[in-house]
Amino acid sequence: MSLLNNYFSNHFLNSINFYQTKVLAIILFLLPFSTILFSQTMNIDENYFSPKNRLAFGNFLFIQEDYLRAIEEYKNYLMYIDNDTVRFKYAESFYRIGKYNEAADNFKSIFYGSLLSDEAKLAFYKASFFNGSYNSFRDICKMEGYQSEKYAKDINRLFLISHLMDESILPDTNHFLKAFPDSTKNKVRELYMMKKFPSKKNPTTAMLLSMFIPGAGKIYTGEISDGITALLTTGVLAYLAANNFKHEHNFRGWLFAGLAVFSYAGTVYGSYASAQIYNAGVRLNFDNEVKLYFEKRNYLLPKINFLKTND
Amino acid sequence: MTAQSDWVKWDAKEISYEIHSPTHHDYTIDKSSFGLRILSYARNAYYYFISDVDGDNCPFFPSCSAFFIQSVKESNIFRASLMFTDRFIRDMNLFKNNNRYSLHATKKYIDPINNYLLEEKRIILTTGEFIE
Repeated sequence: MSLLNNYFSNHFLNSINFYQTKVLAIILFLLPFSTILFSQTMNIDENYFSPKNRLAFGNFLFIQEDYLRAIEEYKNYLMYIDNDTVRFKYAESFYRIGKYNEAADNFKSIFYGSLLSDEAKLAFYKASFFNGSYNSFRDICKMEGYQSEKYAKDINRLFLISHLMDESILPDTNHFLKAFPDSTKNKVRELYMMKKFPSKKNPTTAMLLSMFIPGAGKIYTGEISDGITALLTTGVLAYLAANNFKHEHNFRGWLFAGLAVFSYAGTVYGSYASAQIYNAGVRLNFDNEVKLYFEKRNYLLPKINFLKTND
Repeated sequence: MTAQSDWVKWDAKEISYEIHSPTHHDYTIDKSSFGLRILSYARNAYYYFISDVDGDNCPFFPSCSAFFIQSVKESNIFRASLMFTDRFIRDMNLFKNNNRYSLHATKKYIDPINNYLLEEKRIILTTGEFIE
């Protein structure tokens, strides 16, 4: 009985092994073909260049701050489907790579009949502000039809800040400060006063001072060691000229007199230039301070939240 | 790092391994006018007999001689003489104001002629170290 059992079980096991090996061989044979078939089926179903995928990739690029390529994807998407959010992101991409004219033009396209109309107007003013000409920006602010009720205060603040950025006439102090929140008022007041009463040096005063005492004009502009050097040089040359004339060394006398005159005239000229350089430095420092202060606070503008989502 | 802002193709670039010296003396004769031609000869004589022998000692960039030639080209001989005299006096100052001048790559003080033409709009102010 046990022998019979062994015979049957062995036979059965042998038949299973044969069957399994056959199946395995077939699977291995079909595997490459099935992979090709499967992948082809996937390609047919999934179109990477469909508007939906273009938008998804555009949003991915936007979040990665690759705005140049995001613009291409949004542009292709907008050829098939019109969407205000995408239009906004398309314009915002231009803004973020510094193409302010293109950004402003594209923001304009969402001005009317859109839920993002107010945000688009705010972004349009922002793009115009950074476009380079503050005069043009102020002209745009005065234009009818572009006004946004929701962001009127923010746009007005931007309008006032533009006065600190160039040589235009500053508005009245109270009117200027009223537009800013209390937390920034002290600093804005300080910047306003620095702009209104800059600590400049008068080039004519510097020149006149050096005419009376050579080098005094340079000391007035803060170049103390330059002023003292000029005074000593002119003084020593004048002394040498006088001394040589006194001892009847006329050639040397005239030589030193000529050099003393040049030194004197050069110092007077240099004092005028020194005051101008000082003033240019004051202006540069002020411009940098204003820019740094407002840049750090995003020009006191509200952030538009949907720009960071993957909608 | 800022975002890429334009489609610019990368291209093969010719690289020169020549060591560039911004203080290298330029002996070219300016033939644009008789005065500048005479001045170029005088400058070359100064370079050849004095400056090249004495060494590169001027603490400014451009050097005082180059400053004078540039001043003559930009204005006239009279104003250039005043500008040069003023520069020469500042050169003699042993306690130069480090905050006033930016440093050139050669560790010299940058002092361009634009700042002394009495035209405020042409003044060039640089901050920090300037690499040419």
